[in-house]
Amino acid sequence: MEIATKKLLLEFMVTTQAKRKRKNIFANLVLSILAILAVSPLVAILGFLISKGIGALSWEFLTSLPAPYGESGGGMGHSIVGTFILVLFASLLGIPVGFGAGIFLAESSKESRFASIVRLCAEMLAGVPSIVVGLFAYFVAVLPFGGFSAFAGGFALSVIMIPVIARTSEEILRLVPVHVREAGLALGLPRWQVVMRIVLRGSRKGLFTAVLLAVARASGETAPLLFTALNSRLWSFSATQPISSLPVQIYTYATSPSEEWHQQAWGGALLLVLLVLGMSLFARFLFSGKKYGT
Amino acid sequence: MKVVCALGSSLVSLVVSAPALAAASLSGAGATFPAPLYSRWISDFEKVNPETKLNYQPIGSGGGIKQFIDGTVDFGGTDAPMTDEQIAKVKGNVLHVPTALGAVVFTFNVAGVQKPLNLTPETACGIAMGKISTWNDKRLLSLNAGVTLPSAPLTFVHRSDGSGTSAIFTDYLSKVCPEWKDKVGSGTAVNWPVGLGGKGNDGVSGLIKQTPNSIGYVELVFAEKNKLPVAALKNKAGKIVSPSTNSVTQAFADSVAKLPSDFRMSITDADGAASYPISGITYLLVRKNMSKEVGVPLVKFIKWGLRDGQKICPSLSYAQLPAEVVSRVEKALNVIELK
Repeated sequence: MEIATKKLLLEFMVTTQAKRKRKNIFANLVLSILAILAVSPLVAILGFLISKGIGALSWEFLTSLPAPYGESGGGMGHSIVGTFILVLFASLLGIPVGFGAGIFLAESSKESRFASIVRLCAEMLAGVPSIVVGLFAYFVAVLPFGGFSAFAGGFALSVIMIPVIARTSEEILRLVPVHVREAGLALGLPRWQVVMRIVLRGSRKGLFTAVLLAVARASGETAPLLFTALNSRLWSFSATQPISSLPVQIYTYATSPSEEWHQQAWGGALLLVLLVLGMSLFARFLFSGKKYGT
Repeated sequence: MKVVCALGSSLVSLVVSAPALAAASLSGAGATFPAPLYSRWISDFEKVNPETKLNYQPIGSGGGIKQFIDGTVDFGGTDAPMTDEQIAKVKGNVLHVPTALGAVVFTFNVAGVQKPLNLTPETACGIAMGKISTWNDKRLLSLNAGVTLPSAPLTFVHRSDGSGTSAIFTDYLSKVCPEWKDKVGSGTAVNWPVGLGGKGNDGVSGLIKQTPNSIGYVELVFAEKNKLPVAALKNKAGKIVSPSTNSVTQAFADSVAKLPSDFRMSITDADGAASYPISGITYLLVRKNMSKEVGVPLVKFIKWGLRDGQKICPSLSYAQLPAEVVSRVEKALNVIELK
């Protein structure tokens, strides 16, 4: 090749490389900005909630019942307790079913038709709008029993939790290496013992994460509770009575004419977000660097 | 596993021991408008009757009627009485108990105007129909001598959601404005000829604050709590009356002669000289046949509300029932049969 052509080729390569570099920098910049935009709502929501809600948080707010209209003070203690009770009911109903489905999906072969139908259904159930879940629960757990109840609210939340637990636990159980299962089988363990003693036991932390994620999801829901658990202004520990929850109490206060109640709604919203974010973060922390057996 | 067992057993004991903890607990739901008042009533009532626990949740008048029909609540609340079809659904087993009165007021945002404006049925109609499209319309200027109204276009703001407030407002317009009755009609949600929609009282007032030269309607309680400028309105007797708890109570007092035995009545456009024309009644819905467990405390609470409860109303911007109505309602409570 002649020297002139070589030089030309080299020049061409240098210029295209510079061009590529510029393009790369430009693309990086655009994507970084978009990434920042994507997370900025979280920062904005947190900042906004803290600035508006921190003033309402106090010991009285956390421990007392709402004050009647026209009187100052009061709190959301009953809503905090109510949220925990509702989530407890939902967990008792939802965790066994969710885990059962998760184990079934993880243990069945990839080709199984029934398993893929179950998986598809779980995904579709996860996509059902929560207000529809609430209406469903109203017809199944409120109308037949003739009243709003904590049980109906827990039932509605469990419907939200089941697909989350089923899909997450399936993913987690699939992380258990095939050779570990085979080792168990080779030692003569029956399949159910392999599942119980090796697969499940080794995945404890991961499964706990699945529960935490589902609980975090359920404890922030308003729509499924509006027509199932309703709301209450009383301390309630009964499964058959209406019960308060943070999201519904926030909704009720935010749409009231009282400025003081608006303040309390901000405080409640801050508390709820801290609760849900805390659970999600804790779940992430548990599951970080997750390998089988850790 | 142990943890789960412990949780489970403690939960079971929680549920089993609950009835011992909670005394008679009644639940009700419905209209949003009286919910703050009821929260106060219940709290004060419980101070003298600690054995009774009541729970009222604001889910809207439509929701209150539906839940009452479905039998999921011990009592309902509504700003609009049940229709004949709805009453047929519960086989007539319902008593409408008037508990308090409310009003719908015009509020506005015109630069430099803080004083109450004056309006008439004709101008109210013109604004809602879109016939009055600027603030310096002759009909408005002649009513408000001494107020400088701009030549700017007038924007009407209404509720976008189904609402008892809209029901009272459109009921009034249907009475005073034939064109409105023919073209739009009354109801919790109608086909608005003009204007912007806001959700809830706060949505409407927020929209009015943001929109220069706008006018809309909200509940009296909301306007008073938020110190919004309001308009006085010419009533049927031709007098211009400011909205207040007194002029609303007067509107009901002036209509008492026409009050039917089931208390289902509209009190908009009332006759008397001192009555504010866009007023409405809010009701509790109770069953005529009830179990003793529900009926005894509920009737006690209602009787308390009709006497002691009324005295609290004005301080919270709710209008009281006229004394004559109170005694009629008390008599009507006698039809309730407890089993």
